[in-house]
Amino acid sequence: MIIEMARVRIAGPRAQLDPALRLLQDIGDLHLIAPPADAVPGQPGGRSPRLARHLRRVLEDVDAALAALPAGVARAPMPASRPALPQAARWVRRLRRELSGLARERAALAEEQALLLQYRAFFEAFGPLLQRTPRWSDARASFVLLRAGAGAAVAELEQRVRAVAGARVEMHARALPSGEIAVLMLASGSAAAEVERLLSAARLDELPAPRSLGESNLLSALPALQARLAAVEGELAANDARRADIAAEARGELEALQAELHDLLLLAEARAQARTGELLFVLEGWLPGPAVAPLRGRIARELGPEIVVATVGTEPWTRADAPVALANPRLFRPFELITRAFPLPRYGSIDPTPFVAIFFPMFFGLMLGDVGYGVLLAGIAAIVRRRSRPGGNVRAVAEMALGCALFAIVFGVLFGEVFGTLGAAIGMRPLMFDREHALGPFLMFTIALGAVHVVLGLVLAVIGAWRQGHRRQAIGRGITIAMIALSALALLAAFQVLPARLFTPAAIAVLIAFPVLVALEGIIAVVELMSAFGHILSYARIMALGTASLMLAIVANRMVGAMGSVAVGVAFALLFHLVNFAIGLFSPTIHALRLHYVEFFGEFYSPGGAAYRPFTHWRPARSLGNPA
Amino acid sequence: MDLIWIVFAAAAAVAVTGLATAWAQGRIGPAVAASLAEKPELATTAIILVAIPETMVILGFVVAVMILLRGVG
Repeated sequence: MIIEMARVRIAGPRAQLDPALRLLQDIGDLHLIAPPADAVPGQPGGRSPRLARHLRRVLEDVDAALAALPAGVARAPMPASRPALPQAARWVRRLRRELSGLARERAALAEEQALLLQYRAFFEAFGPLLQRTPRWSDARASFVLLRAGAGAAVAELEQRVRAVAGARVEMHARALPSGEIAVLMLASGSAAAEVERLLSAARLDELPAPRSLGESNLLSALPALQARLAAVEGELAANDARRADIAAEARGELEALQAELHDLLLLAEARAQARTGELLFVLEGWLPGPAVAPLRGRIARELGPEIVVATVGTEPWTRADAPVALANPRLFRPFELITRAFPLPRYGSIDPTPFVAIFFPMFFGLMLGDVGYGVLLAGIAAIVRRRSRPGGNVRAVAEMALGCALFAIVFGVLFGEVFGTLGAAIGMRPLMFDREHALGPFLMFTIALGAVHVVLGLVLAVIGAWRQGHRRQAIGRGITIAMIALSALALLAAFQVLPARLFTPAAIAVLIAFPVLVALEGIIAVVELMSAFGHILSYARIMALGTASLMLAIVANRMVGAMGSVAVGVAFALLFHLVNFAIGLFSPTIHALRLHYVEFFGEFYSPGGAAYRPFTHWRPARSLGNPA
Repeated sequence: MDLIWIVFAAAAAVAVTGLATAWAQGRIGPAVAASLAEKPELATTAIILVAIPETMVILGFVVAVMILLRGVG
């Protein structure tokens, strides 16, 4: 249901505007709006773009600093006193600079470390060779990396090296853990140029020494490279330690400052909503009816009797301006998620959540209609519910799934189905009808259910139109209901479900009601009437999907005997049941949603309500699944 | 002979409406996917738009069931 709202006007001495706004922010009940200029004298409350710009700039620094902090660091206790905003702004700017400097430094170190680690494989492969005294005092090393599986190329390369340099070169090849082949060539000074030319002609690129070491030859760069790798690791550890220290010291303070800045921005926006004169201020807003008296009491207690809270009752405002807040019983609340997927209903119209909470799981259960699948769904929903946070979307979906599973089990018992026809094997008998054979009754049942649902939608439309003062429209909808009921009566009499003598009076009543309907609502009423009949027939999808689900389950069960081997048959049957279960979750959800959004909501739902957003303290946004 | 025509009529009721639904969904689907890429908040509308043509095949199925029930048995 939609919470009943009251509109209040708060007036007081101008000097009390800021304390009043702070108190209203603490209370967190009032949805502020600008007082109408024709009803309230004075000027619109002052905006201070410069202040807002400054606050946003500091907030940007705080957000950037928080984003640069490493996660998972224990925070130090908050200091007892906090600096004033100007000092805090300077501190945050310095902190942001330091953190971005540290982040840049860390990125550069990590990049260098990754590069140096590429050489580690070489060190490990040729370490002992490189440690020993070279055969030639002017020896020069060349490193080449060959792709994995190039073993034949190594032999060919050695042959060609021997051909040009003979015994003046040593060649070693090692397979690296990555599968690549590392080749080290140690050549005497006189052979180095020939080896280089050979490698160049063979289009084999030498692995260069890292530039940061200032050495062109990897052999001479090796000690420096190892030392640098150790140094980089040390620098990275120091960088991480410094960032962790900052996180431990500053995170709490940064988060508090973030909340304070958001609150100040909200306060500035609220101030702009006030109207102020030379001596007075006036604020106006909406809040739930029962919250008016506590608000009045708290303002009188904390700010004194100079501030007056009056309920606005006579001014020319319409109920359509009121913001909308939904409040439903605990059992129905998860289904608000379905209503909220649509734009909010207008204030004064009807919140369909309680009806959705009953019919959505019922339609789902009718389509799935199986004790086995229902128990499986209930198990999954219970696990998801247990792992989700209270108040979040995931929790709401899990609770809706529990309701759907309950209806699937109930209808499973009524249809005598456990994983399709296994119910019959364990002695279950259909209490309502057998969906496999009673297609006609199942079809009639779903269309009758559709008629009930659509007529309920029309009844809600009558109530809504009457409440909003659209009497003509309300009577028109009432006649549509009567015509649907009379048509159903005539059809039932025609098929002799009811006594045949009822047919003529019902048909005559329909013929009389028709011109009345056209006179009241115009020719469009004919289209709407036809569309209402179409909507009712659309509920036949419940029977279609239910039958399809049952048939798939039957096919799955028949696989056990059709595969030759029982084990293979059981495996295929389980797989088929799993597929049917997955389809049985998805399709009924989509179609139950569609029946609500198109067929049911289409009759009465009046979207376009503004959300109730009370002026309160800022709260950080939470991720999906967490309470907002 | 009659039985063949009854079964053929039931099959045609599902086949023609199935093809019509497929054609409609084939045109709506890409348009809806493109809209969702730009405005993910239209997800509810997207579900409705894609599900609307399914009414055709479902009514075709209902007609087929009625043909079979009245014709065969």
